[in-house]
Amino acid sequence: MSSRLRVVAVLLTALVAQATLLTEIRIQGATVELMMVIAILAGFHGGPERGALVAFFAGLLQDSLLSVPLGLHALVFPPLAVAVSSLEQRMVRSAPVADAVALLLAATAGILTVAAVGLLFGLSPYDPGTFLARIITAAVMTTAIAAPVNRAVRWAVLGGLPPDIKLRAVGS
Amino acid sequence: MAAKRPADRPRPTLLILLVAALTLLTLQFRGLQPLDAFQRGVRDIIEPVRSLSDRLTDPVQTAWNGVFGFEALRMENERLEVELARMRGSALTSEADTELLNRLLSEVDIAYSDFDAVVVRILGQPPGNFSAHMIEVDKGTDDGLEEGMAVVTGAGLVGRLEQVDRSRSLVQLATHPDFRVGVRLVTSQDEGLAKGTGTEGIMRIESGVRLDAQVDNDEVVVTSGGRSVFPSDIPVGRVLDPDSDADYRRSIIIELAADLENLSFLKVVLPAQKAEGAR
Repeated sequence: MSSRLRVVAVLLTALVAQATLLTEIRIQGATVELMMVIAILAGFHGGPERGALVAFFAGLLQDSLLSVPLGLHALVFPPLAVAVSSLEQRMVRSAPVADAVALLLAATAGILTVAAVGLLFGLSPYDPGTFLARIITAAVMTTAIAAPVNRAVRWAVLGGLPPDIKLRAVGS
Repeated sequence: MAAKRPADRPRPTLLILLVAALTLLTLQFRGLQPLDAFQRGVRDIIEPVRSLSDRLTDPVQTAWNGVFGFEALRMENERLEVELARMRGSALTSEADTELLNRLLSEVDIAYSDFDAVVVRILGQPPGNFSAHMIEVDKGTDDGLEEGMAVVTGAGLVGRLEQVDRSRSLVQLATHPDFRVGVRLVTSQDEGLAKGTGTEGIMRIESGVRLDAQVDNDEVVVTSGGRSVFPSDIPVGRVLDPDSDADYRRSIIIELAADLENLSFLKVVLPAQKAEGAR
């Protein structure tokens, strides 16, 4: 299966999961931002260019599902993926706890940015009284489901192959 | 940590994607129909899966609510017990109340319960975190619903249909900060524009009512009708704070009549022409 097909399969599966099962699971009104975690992980595993592309289409699908203008999440997700990719390249070494904290911060920043851009475009995305609590809860829930999503995104963008294999021309 | 990759060229790609997203946003705000149709199409395509999932996950949701909503349910039960006791007391004076209510209704000509309406079931909050003060219901364009229609309960105004797909719709609750409705104060007959506050059960009239208008606590507020998309005389709530001391602009607080917290079924009010067509 080609990389594009794998990405499409993961995005569509995630869209259905976001629209069905994850919508039912709410804590304090907050729910998991599955498409956002895919955008973040696509940047982490796929690099800035591929990550941005996957993030853009994840954002478009998210916009189609929600009652928000088309392009809102698609505007926020690609820079988020590029930022995560850039940070990942600067990290000396990785540990599960550090990765989880980084993901939590990225998810929080992503949700805040979506809310801010939404406000710029005249939306009132959050109840002012529960704004912070909802964002933090959503970010924590999003981080909590990252492990299985991580495997799927890694498979989609890298095909399960070790990412450091480089082909060399004969004689070089 | 992922291993190093060959050098990427993120800037041109990112720039193109950002321009594309901004273009989509601009076109959407200019009301380009194909974009709306695209969004609606995506939602309609996954609708059968969502319906199936709703049925399958009902037990899971019940268990989830049992774990995370137990305390709220217990408090709700206690509140209902207090309410029941109060209602039993109220029943003793019901005859006088009924007479008073009938007199009031005849004075203000409230007959909103006679509207033709479609009964819809609440499915819950829509997907995502952008859904404060919105709920999803189980009927859509296939049942004759259209965007903007008023949504009520037996107690009064709940909100309006914000987004209508083939078999689902989103209701923007009256507490949503973007919600606006023309209202009339029943006793003073002053009219104004009420808006959602983002706070449960509370709306605010910020324009229209004269500074010197006599507005009392507990005064009944209904929709004003006229050129509004809402029919007239739908009960909205009662005045909680008339803001009688205002110097410049009055901000009258209204407590909504419909309890938005504990709803299962709602009624979508059909416009008069549509109701006649349906007959």
